[in-house]
Amino acid sequence: MKYIGKRVPEIHGWAKVTGQATFTDDLRLPGMLHAKILRSPHAHARIRGIDVSKVLQLPGVVTVMTGKDTPGIKYVAQVSDMYPLAMDKVRYVGDPVAVVAAESEEIAREALSLIEVDYEVLPAVFDPREALKQGAPQIHEDKANNLVLTIKRDFGNVDQGFAESDFVFEDEFSTQAVPHCNMEPRSSAALMNTEGVLQIWSGTQSPYFVRKEVAHVCNLPISHVQVMEIHCGGGFGSRSKYCEDEGVTALLAIRTGSPVRITFSREEEMTTTRIRHPFNIHLKTGVKKDGTFVARQMDLIVDKGAYCHYGPAVTGYAAGTAASHYRVPHFRFTGDVVYTNKQAGGPFRGFGAPQAIFAIESQMDTIAEKLGIDPLELRLRNANQSGDTTACGWQITTCGLEECLQKVVSSTNWQEKWKAEKTGRFRQGIGLATAIHVSGSNVFPDGEFSSIEIKMFLDGQVSVYKGSGDTGTWANTVIAQIVAEELQLPMEKVRLISMDTETTPQSLGSFASRVAFEDGNAARMAAIQLRNYLLESASARLQVPGEELQIEQGQIVYQEDAEKRISYGDAVFHSPRCVGHLLNSFYQYVPNTVRLTPQGYANVSAAYAFSAQAAEVEVDTETGQVRVLRFTVAQDVGKAINPIAVEGQIEGALAQGMGYALTEELIVDPETGRVVSDCLDRVMLPTVMDIPQEQIFLVETCDPEGPYGAKGVGEIGLNPTAAAIANAVHNAVGYRAHKLPIEAEDVYYFLHPEKR
Amino acid sequence: MLNPLEQTIISLQLRVNGLPVQEDVPAQMTLLEFLRQRLRLTGAKEGCGSGECGACTVLLDGRPVNACLVLAAEANDAEIRTIEGEARDGRLTPLQQAFIEHGAIQCGFCTSGMVLSAQALLERNPHPGREEIVEAIAGHLCRCTGYVQIVEAIESVAGKGS
Repeated sequence: MKYIGKRVPEIHGWAKVTGQATFTDDLRLPGMLHAKILRSPHAHARIRGIDVSKVLQLPGVVTVMTGKDTPGIKYVAQVSDMYPLAMDKVRYVGDPVAVVAAESEEIAREALSLIEVDYEVLPAVFDPREALKQGAPQIHEDKANNLVLTIKRDFGNVDQGFAESDFVFEDEFSTQAVPHCNMEPRSSAALMNTEGVLQIWSGTQSPYFVRKEVAHVCNLPISHVQVMEIHCGGGFGSRSKYCEDEGVTALLAIRTGSPVRITFSREEEMTTTRIRHPFNIHLKTGVKKDGTFVARQMDLIVDKGAYCHYGPAVTGYAAGTAASHYRVPHFRFTGDVVYTNKQAGGPFRGFGAPQAIFAIESQMDTIAEKLGIDPLELRLRNANQSGDTTACGWQITTCGLEECLQKVVSSTNWQEKWKAEKTGRFRQGIGLATAIHVSGSNVFPDGEFSSIEIKMFLDGQVSVYKGSGDTGTWANTVIAQIVAEELQLPMEKVRLISMDTETTPQSLGSFASRVAFEDGNAARMAAIQLRNYLLESASARLQVPGEELQIEQGQIVYQEDAEKRISYGDAVFHSPRCVGHLLNSFYQYVPNTVRLTPQGYANVSAAYAFSAQAAEVEVDTETGQVRVLRFTVAQDVGKAINPIAVEGQIEGALAQGMGYALTEELIVDPETGRVVSDCLDRVMLPTVMDIPQEQIFLVETCDPEGPYGAKGVGEIGLNPTAAAIANAVHNAVGYRAHKLPIEAEDVYYFLHPEKR
Repeated sequence: MLNPLEQTIISLQLRVNGLPVQEDVPAQMTLLEFLRQRLRLTGAKEGCGSGECGACTVLLDGRPVNACLVLAAEANDAEIRTIEGEARDGRLTPLQQAFIEHGAIQCGFCTSGMVLSAQALLERNPHPGREEIVEAIAGHLCRCTGYVQIVEAIESVAGKGS
């Protein structure tokens, strides 16, 4: 193949490396207004009144809007509980209360100080376990005890499973809140055009969800909302559905009749956008003497924060992961999704899996130690296999888990390092962890589909219309590669238009590691169909059988007589399917999966990816500091359509996973609910100085359902990383982390209990 | 009431990407605001506004600076280079080309700053070692790539030529 499996450069690379790529905050729309949001300083308060009378006296202010000036419609989300602007209550520090649009951002910011809000401060609750107690402050009127819902799963016979087990292990784990820290702070711009269509620019993973939610809160038909094409400075889930600023920007554009933009400050980005949910995890596992898993029970308390967003889906996915990661015949799960007066959680790379896998893989090493079994051996004994159906119904067509484990172990000299005696001040350890992940997930009532349209012009070049976003993952490049391959066109003759909801057929979006897989399948089928149209046209024109024609470099050639040939453009022109000098091909890919039921048993994805990672760390026994020295990763990617893009996804995921394990945390002041780590420095993202040596192996299992055999690669690289590091720390100094991040202080006191 | 439109205005003269620029600007305007808003040079990005991320990096007299922390007034008489001035006549610099070839670009938001800091390094020292490269971009955050391909891209240029 010419383009598939090749290290093809990013198609937007030139635009990005020259500074020409336009992000939302780079837009200059004529007469554009700039808006700023007034946010609640209280974690929980009733709004008794808002006085905006002084605001309009400030020169340059165009309008001020509060909840009362909006249609008063909540976002749909999974549980509809949030207005674009607060109506009567605020539920976390940062809740949007009012918005000012002005001629400059500076004036808008200044104007916020002139808004007087009369708050009746209410008691707040920040710990989900406290929030569940009788008498806790009630955050949403319709949710007693702040319980959004409980997700339950019960497969097999768990009680019998534990009874039949030789050993039962029980552990508690907890994980922290982490902001996505996209380099581009949130920005959205909107304009009501003269045709009554609300156009919105917003770096998003899913224009589909943006259009749906914006139309809903603005009370517009969805055909009157157009999400525009724009570059996006990082997604990682934060932009996978919709962002609440989009509704506010749209409402302002309608109110003012002018283009309006809201760009968040870094502090707003860190303290008001959706984050990774903190989990409290109780994990109980029953095993036979030989280490075979019999039963697993996971009980979660999910700290939802003030609004639901997609919390139930994240919790449900944690359940699916816990039911499917290794062979577990009997499985039970409860996930209490609980409101607190904090910033809300949402999708974040891994979607609940990194939390669950941190617990499962940490306990795995504990089990291995107690049973006297090598951690590698224990994993191999319980590893998923091709052809398995997991406890929750995931049907694993191809599974490279064993191969990934063997690859990682053989290339790290695992046995020797694992058993090496640890002495001296700096002690090295090695840890293993693995992961499973979907390639697209059939969980939303919206459906599960990706669509691609390809138009071929008379010059034989094509435009490809793709309805999902590309947040920098090279999704557009991969789709262009597929079209180039099937049509035998050079990459530069394939132009990609993505996101624009007016011109592109809809796809659900770039999330759940689905875009290369599902949009990829759609692109491949659309391109094959277009190729067939070309052959059909050429066959009629050349008067030769279609099956004896070949396509090459923009020409359709008769194999018997190379003189008999026509160009793609001529084939377009003479095709009976040609409309307006264009030959169009549409394809909608709907994977053969089952929509998740409330009971949670369904084959939600058409293919499952696997990964094994080894982390090697060095622990300073004098300070408790942990440094990662080396990562070795073997990942079942199905087929790497673009190895450089796949490696980029894995390397990026490792850095995020390392931050998740060791440093990153959104810290909330337990008194006020205010976020303390409100800037990049305080969240402590890894810098280039922290990056260890990395070795990556791509294991190609060629899944029958994936395009060219490919599986999803976007998320899984992060799923096992924290667990691998935690296991390496334990191997080095014996400290078993039960919470993330692994803090030097805790390691230090473990090593020096007398100093506590 | 404070009127933000009432500001001290200063006259500024400088060169940007080799061209002379003369503008009157408010005294508190940052170099980043000046470049993005006045000159429409939006290649430098505001990622944090407080010098933590490096996305707004430009070269001031050949030295990388966070344009969000420098006042436009401080650039008076200076020579500013932004990402827009790197490629000439549609030809990328070897470093820009290397970023593309090595997959050092994902979302692209940090790219301008990374390229300029690395370019400044290569002009100071055409053959820096890995440690110098890492040090040169230590003030730049990237959330997408995990930095590996960025370092490789810079190394590939550092190893070439005289």
